Amino acid sequence: MSRSLKQVAVLLVALLCLDPHSRVSSAPICTHGPSGCHVPSLADLFDRVIQHSARMHSVSNDLHSEFEQYFLPSKNHIGKIYRKCHTSNILTPNGKENAQKLAREELTEVILKLLMAWRDPLFQLHQSMADQQDFNSFSSNKALEMGDMAHELRKGVEKVAEKMRVLGMLGNSVTGLSAAEAMLPLSESGEAMSDYELLYCFRRDSNKVQNYLKILKCRIVPEHDC
Amino acid sequence: MRNSGAVLILTFIAKLILQAAGVSPPGKPRLTSCRSPEKETFTCWWEPGGDGGLPTTYALYYHLENSETVYECPDYRTAGENSCYFNKNDTSLWVNYNITVVASNALGKNISDPVEVDVVYIVQPNTPENVTAVVVHDEQGPFVRVSWEKPRTADTRSGWITLIYQIRVKQEKDEKWEEYDAGMQKYYNVFSLHPDKECMVQVRCKPDHGFWSEWTQTTYVKMPNYIPRERSLWILITIFSIFIVLILTWTLNVKRNSMKLCLLPPVPGPKIKGFDKQLLKSGKTEEIFNTLVIQGFPPTTDYENLLVEYLEVYDNEEQELVLDGKELSEDFMKSKSSSDNDSGRGSCDSRTLLLEKCMDGREGSGSDQHQYSQHGETSWASTESSESQGAEPGSPESTDGRAKTWPVVFPQPHHHYPVGAVKPAYHNVPEILNQLSPHATPSNYHQLHHQDIPQQELRFSKSACRHSQSYNQFNLDSIDTPAPGVPPLPSLEYVEVQRVNPENMLLLRPLSDPNREPERSDCTGEDYSKVKVVTSHNILLLQRDTSHQCVDDYSQADQCTTQQPPHPCKPAVHQWNSVMPQEGMRVMGNGYVDSTVLMPSF
Repeated sequence: MSRSLKQVAVLLVALLCLDPHSRVSSAPICTHGPSGCHVPSLADLFDRVIQHSARMHSVSNDLHSEFEQYFLPSKNHIGKIYRKCHTSNILTPNGKENAQKLAREELTEVILKLLMAWRDPLFQLHQSMADQQDFNSFSSNKALEMGDMAHELRKGVEKVAEKMRVLGMLGNSVTGLSAAEAMLPLSESGEAMSDYELLYCFRRDSNKVQNYLKILKCRIVPEHDC
Repeated sequence: MRNSGAVLILTFIAKLILQAAGVSPPGKPRLTSCRSPEKETFTCWWEPGGDGGLPTTYALYYHLENSETVYECPDYRTAGENSCYFNKNDTSLWVNYNITVVASNALGKNISDPVEVDVVYIVQPNTPENVTAVVVHDEQGPFVRVSWEKPRTADTRSGWITLIYQIRVKQEKDEKWEEYDAGMQKYYNVFSLHPDKECMVQVRCKPDHGFWSEWTQTTYVKMPNYIPRERSLWILITIFSIFIVLILTWTLNVKRNSMKLCLLPPVPGPKIKGFDKQLLKSGKTEEIFNTLVIQGFPPTTDYENLLVEYLEVYDNEEQELVLDGKELSEDFMKSKSSSDNDSGRGSCDSRTLLLEKCMDGREGSGSDQHQYSQHGETSWASTESSESQGAEPGSPESTDGRAKTWPVVFPQPHHHYPVGAVKPAYHNVPEILNQLSPHATPSNYHQLHHQDIPQQELRFSKSACRHSQSYNQFNLDSIDTPAPGVPPLPSLEYVEVQRVNPENMLLLRPLSDPNREPERSDCTGEDYSKVKVVTSHNILLLQRDTSHQCVDDYSQADQCTTQQPPHPCKPAVHQWNSVMPQEGMRVMGNGYVDSTVLMPSF
């Protein structure tokens, strides 16, 4: 009796396991209702990401020029010592050919690294700007906004990468995104960078990100804008 | 000591000499701009500061940020003079270049200020290419479609650079350009262009972070000549006009009465009160005619008095004879009225108008009219007074120079007649004529041809002329104003109808006529008869005055020539005591016919 019961139970379990319909799989939660989920295409994702990065870059550009206008009157200031940005050790292509030589995965990784590297410094920037009374509230809000945008951009790029991987465009050579190191904004000398330097460096890096994303997009989904 | 001092002095002197000669070390050059057309290469330009009179060479040196290695410009020529061109290999993005220019000549050199350049931010693309403008005909009107291509050097396909375009348009004789942003597309439709005008188009572009390019060369396009069909405008105009028409119509409708009055003023009604239709319908003829008659005119009272019992003949030199026409017989007397009161009479009664009226009614009657007209004409003419006999036609003259009215037929006992008694109620009876006796003085005789009177006259036709002529208004004047020429009573003479001659003439003869039969002496004052009516056969109906004793004789006016009184002729004239009044004639109480009834009121 117990054996037959056991056998039946085993059989049932086996059937259940084998039944494809019983598998549980994740389904995306659609905000548009059960009628139809609008799943954005890769091109749409890229467009959104690129727009986001453009906005981020414009904010950083505004902050930098504002900073330069009020706090550094002369452009060729002697005290204008350019320290290396803390992201300078990330190898980024500095030309078109170099950028086109990079593979998609590497390019995506560079982007993600950059964005990741700026998560904490931006937070620090906002903090220091809020603390100093020289900046008006509008500027400190911009810094905060900048930090948020960088964060969202990173998330977006991660989603794009995910989508690409799903579509098979990306190989699995991309290392775990979470493995990107959070770098500390320290110069070589170990001193904290000033606000101006941070702004200067972030402005450049946001430009890089925007550019790399465009290249990536036109390489992967070459449609009307390319 | 002396050597160094001498060297210094010599150097100073040399400088002075050189300055006097105008040569000096070069001036400081200045980097004007650095530009990259496609974010892959870039060029820097500088301007020299002055060569100091000596040939000067320029050199550009740069070093990258965070690097001390100084490089010199790799290419001085590609971009022209005083420029440095960095090719792809030498260009690094997102890296600051520190660039300086050094000018050197025989006397020295001069270094420009360093410039920090990041290539990413100095991008200025070339101008767009192949700008074409084409007129496209659309159902709503033609427009211009401008299309172009990206600059050849810009690599937008790989996404390395993103360009946005701008187009500007100017039509001829316009002062300002109109700019339109085209975004990243490479075409643009320009609307709202005026027809039949030439249009100039230019395009430029810009990277998302960088400088605008230069404008392209002007492209010309000619707009065709068309008439814009603004449908909405026409619809609006139509609706508006319909609205206005409706308002006008409604206004006219509301005001139509006043409009009618304005445009078609009412014709004034007749002022003359004619026949009253209602009375006509009721059939009371008396009332009808009563309305036509002015009360009190003619005097209805004392008709008996008006009717002259006597026919008085004035024997007055002042009396003037009424001249008849030539056709008149010799027996005609002329008479004239002593007064000329015209009042109360119609136009035909008026002397002055008589002629005209008489002219109108002339046809057909021939001699009658002539006579009448002549009579009318001549009736106002004054005759020669004393010597004129009845035979002589003459023209009665007005005594006072005024037109006289009809001769007085009924003479003297007028004075007791009411003044207002104007119109004699006599119809167109052939007058009792006075026969002018040879010795008869001119008197107010008036003779009418009976037969001359057409039938219709006897019926009181509208021929006012005839009427008036035969109108027995003769007594009027004499009634109103006792004629100045009225002779005193004793001079009155009475006439009596002697007979009616074949020509339907009443021959009168004075009562004092010696020819008179003596038998009539009894009836001196009363031997006359009243004419009652004229029948249709030209019969003079006389009324026998029953109160009189003398009855018959003189009432007979007929063909009988001399009749014995006891033998009344068989007269055409019959005595009727009562005669049916003719139609339209109103018989007065005393037997006289009121002819005024049928007279048109003047």
